[in-house]
Amino acid sequence: MCGIAGIMFKNGGGTEPAGRALIDMLDGCQHRGPDSTGFALYGDVLEDGLRLRFFVGEGEEADAAVARIGSALAKHGARIVEDERVGSNYRVRASFDGDIRKLAYDVEHAAKVISIGSSLEIVKDVGGAHEVDDHYGVSGFHGTHGLGHVRLATESAVKPEAAHPFWATGFADVAIVHNGQITNYWKMRRRLEQRDYAFTTDNDSELIAVYLADKLSQGIALKDALAASIDDLDGTFSFLVSTRDEIGYAKDRLAVKPMIMYETDDLVAVASEEVSLNRLFPGQALNTREPPPGTCATWSRSI
Amino acid sequence: MVTIDLAQTPVREANERIRRYGADGTDVELVNPDARHHLGVGLVHPIHVRIRGSAGYFCAGLTDAARFEVDNNVGWGVGDNMYSGRVVVRGNAGAIPGVAIRGAEIVIHGNMGSRAGQVMKAGTLACAGNANFMAGYMMYGGRIIILGDSGEKVGEDMTGGHIFVGGRVQDLGSDAEQVDLEDGEDDDLRAFLDRYELRFTGTFKKIANAGRKLRYATSERQIRSIPFFTFSGASEYWNPKIQEDIYIKSQIGRYRIRGYGGARALPHLADLGFRRDVSRAGEDADVVSKVALKTEIGGLNGANPLKLSMPVMIAPMSYGALSASTKRAIGLASTLSGIAENTGEGGMSDAQRGAASQLIFQMLGGRLGWNIHDMNRADGLEIYISQGAKPGLGGQLMAKKVTPELARIRGIPHGIDLRSPSRHPDILGGDDLLIKVEEMREATGYRLPVSVKLGAGRVSDDVKIAVKDGFDFIELDGMQGSTGAGSAEVIDYVGVPTLPAVIEAVGALEEIGRRQDIELVLMGGIRDGVDAVKALCLGADAVAFGTSTIIAGGCIACMQCHVGQCVTGIATQDPAHESRYDPEAESHNIHRFLEGVRWQIAALTHALGYSDFRALNRDDLVALTPEAAEITGLPHEPGVRAKTPELRVSLA
Repeated sequence: MCGIAGIMFKNGGGTEPAGRALIDMLDGCQHRGPDSTGFALYGDVLEDGLRLRFFVGEGEEADAAVARIGSALAKHGARIVEDERVGSNYRVRASFDGDIRKLAYDVEHAAKVISIGSSLEIVKDVGGAHEVDDHYGVSGFHGTHGLGHVRLATESAVKPEAAHPFWATGFADVAIVHNGQITNYWKMRRRLEQRDYAFTTDNDSELIAVYLADKLSQGIALKDALAASIDDLDGTFSFLVSTRDEIGYAKDRLAVKPMIMYETDDLVAVASEEVSLNRLFPGQALNTREPPPGTCATWSRSI
Repeated sequence: MVTIDLAQTPVREANERIRRYGADGTDVELVNPDARHHLGVGLVHPIHVRIRGSAGYFCAGLTDAARFEVDNNVGWGVGDNMYSGRVVVRGNAGAIPGVAIRGAEIVIHGNMGSRAGQVMKAGTLACAGNANFMAGYMMYGGRIIILGDSGEKVGEDMTGGHIFVGGRVQDLGSDAEQVDLEDGEDDDLRAFLDRYELRFTGTFKKIANAGRKLRYATSERQIRSIPFFTFSGASEYWNPKIQEDIYIKSQIGRYRIRGYGGARALPHLADLGFRRDVSRAGEDADVVSKVALKTEIGGLNGANPLKLSMPVMIAPMSYGALSASTKRAIGLASTLSGIAENTGEGGMSDAQRGAASQLIFQMLGGRLGWNIHDMNRADGLEIYISQGAKPGLGGQLMAKKVTPELARIRGIPHGIDLRSPSRHPDILGGDDLLIKVEEMREATGYRLPVSVKLGAGRVSDDVKIAVKDGFDFIELDGMQGSTGAGSAEVIDYVGVPTLPAVIEAVGALEEIGRRQDIELVLMGGIRDGVDAVKALCLGADAVAFGTSTIIAGGCIACMQCHVGQCVTGIATQDPAHESRYDPEAESHNIHRFLEGVRWQIAALTHALGYSDFRALNRDDLVALTPEAAEITGLPHEPGVRAKTPELRVSLA
């Protein structure tokens, strides 16, 4: 129950309006998911540090969470270089050269982690694309690539932490947006849990992210990891994945969930509906294409 | 010709203007379409509509006679359900192009997406490029021409019609086979291509249904008649019902199909009692005039609501499962009692429309009999997701009942064992559903309430999606609902009973603070006014009666609805059997039953101390069994049972 979007400026140097583009694309398909909106944004790479984002809430609750985060980071030898509170988020830049997975699992006990990476920051909250932009300044964000998601929720309170994108818990810079349903979720999750991976939600999108990140950590190329996911994951899905330098898609064999893409020499944009792509190019007849069922592809930014 | 700029004009206003221009015979050009959805839907006049760019979902959907031309791409479902007329797309088409068309010509110059021509009935879908996965999926008739490659599983589960492939046949679908072209067929194809200036010099391969799955290998045997009370009796191993079941399976070698409702003890409204002493209910002979029973359903979002003389309507039952005479009797009775009737699956006949003063038109995944003209003469539109008796499954109608007349209305070959699709081609999640609801509203000018029928399954999630997708009301159907034909195990063992279903539905809507934004009509084994009052107490805005109206009209509950030889003339299409049924007389029997329901609702509401049925609430109830207490959260007071009188219909 959602709409997805992704963009990569293939020859960009990091000054491209990725935030603005994603807001426009998501606003175009907000009808697919009016409850919450989220973005996975890739900024300048911190060579020996991390960008971390947490949900901390408001007021005293937030103060306590920030204090807990501070001591959890200190325990792992991460030194806060810069921090700020934005909306219900706590945003940190820290110097760190240890094991990110250990850090992530531990700091999760201090506060709800949204994302960790040297480049990735996930911004997500209840409301539409413009509301989330108003609170978090997404439109001012520049970068080569990013993902976005709009969601229709069925849980009781529409919670920001249930919004997408999902970070691949424990793996720096890997994020996912997904439309569909993984039916062998528990079986796949147990398989990964037996290898000591932890999951912080029961959401099948987190599973896909961790599944792919695990493959990447074994040195498997993103393209090959995506191809394997089409065999290993059961259900209906169209998803987009992003890493520090790449974005990619995979589509299930039943082709039940929509996806459409537009590519030029300079950019590739992928979305649930063409109406989102046309938001980037109003009034133009775009030469789009629909990826066939059971396929995947990746694009890299020029480094 | 007039030009509408979609950068300036909202789609809703544009569609209203297009329909007005259609009535005047003025052609229309749309500029800056930017892949917006629902362009031109609901148009029923033969004008030319030129779209200067890409269109989104359901371009030219639910139309008849118009000619559309799209300069670039289209999204899902171009020409959805189009009767006559044509669409020419210069670019590519997304999934399900030509879905459910019934005579239109759809021409795609580029490639087309998955499931092209799904459930199409007649007409031509042509594609100059390649098709994707499962072209011709579940098509019932007409032809698909693919000049490029066929894609995988071409002709998957097609019933009728033909697919012609100019390129490579990648892979045949289940029950599809390659056959030789008939004399003259090649000329017809090339004449069609010439008409649309499509160049093709190769040869065609023809794909048709292989006929392996259209009929069950063995038909359903007539069963010995076990009285229903024996059939539904105490559950023991190897009782007569189980023995009968095994015996029949030993003869037919497959699962069994039967009609009527579940026959297993389940928690139900009968397990609730009234907290107050209602033993004096009905002593006042004039009670009906003292209680407000009139209500409206479906008007919350601005549509014209159904106007009901009491919070009651008729549950959806198809012409097909039931005879035309029975549908007529029920329609007449609904008019006499001032409530709404429902077409069920399979289309709307003039007779049904004429008999019922208020008629809801039901749309299922097969789109059998669905069309813009009958939508326009309906009083409400309903999207069927599933039904309580067999949640997750489509309708079944055995060959005996699929007469030429019935097949014509539904747009399918006659004489097949019809197993309707269990899913909609274009509703595969809450996101698609929203776009579909919007298409129906756009096509009918936002006049009609749009409801969703949900068989109780994942009730909590389903009702939340329903309210978020903007439906006007939900028809929630519990497991005690009946069916004209369903697999025996499913009828008895799959689903959620009506009582926990309504509790979960109300709870879920309250949980997200949206109870006031949607109305809830409860059905599934509602037998009388007493059940109705309990349902209203639990939070339903109205209830619907199905099986009980059939019984009121003469059904003897022999459970053989599926056979098609109904002795009472109700569940049959055989003229000799149907002639036994007197619709005029039965309409009065059904009407009297409904008036009994009215009297019971009034008498109980009055006895509970209210003058308006809307005052009924859950504090009026107690649970008579521990199980019902657990399900409902009501206090368990078994002692109340003795005080709950047998409320009888006593009409002078």
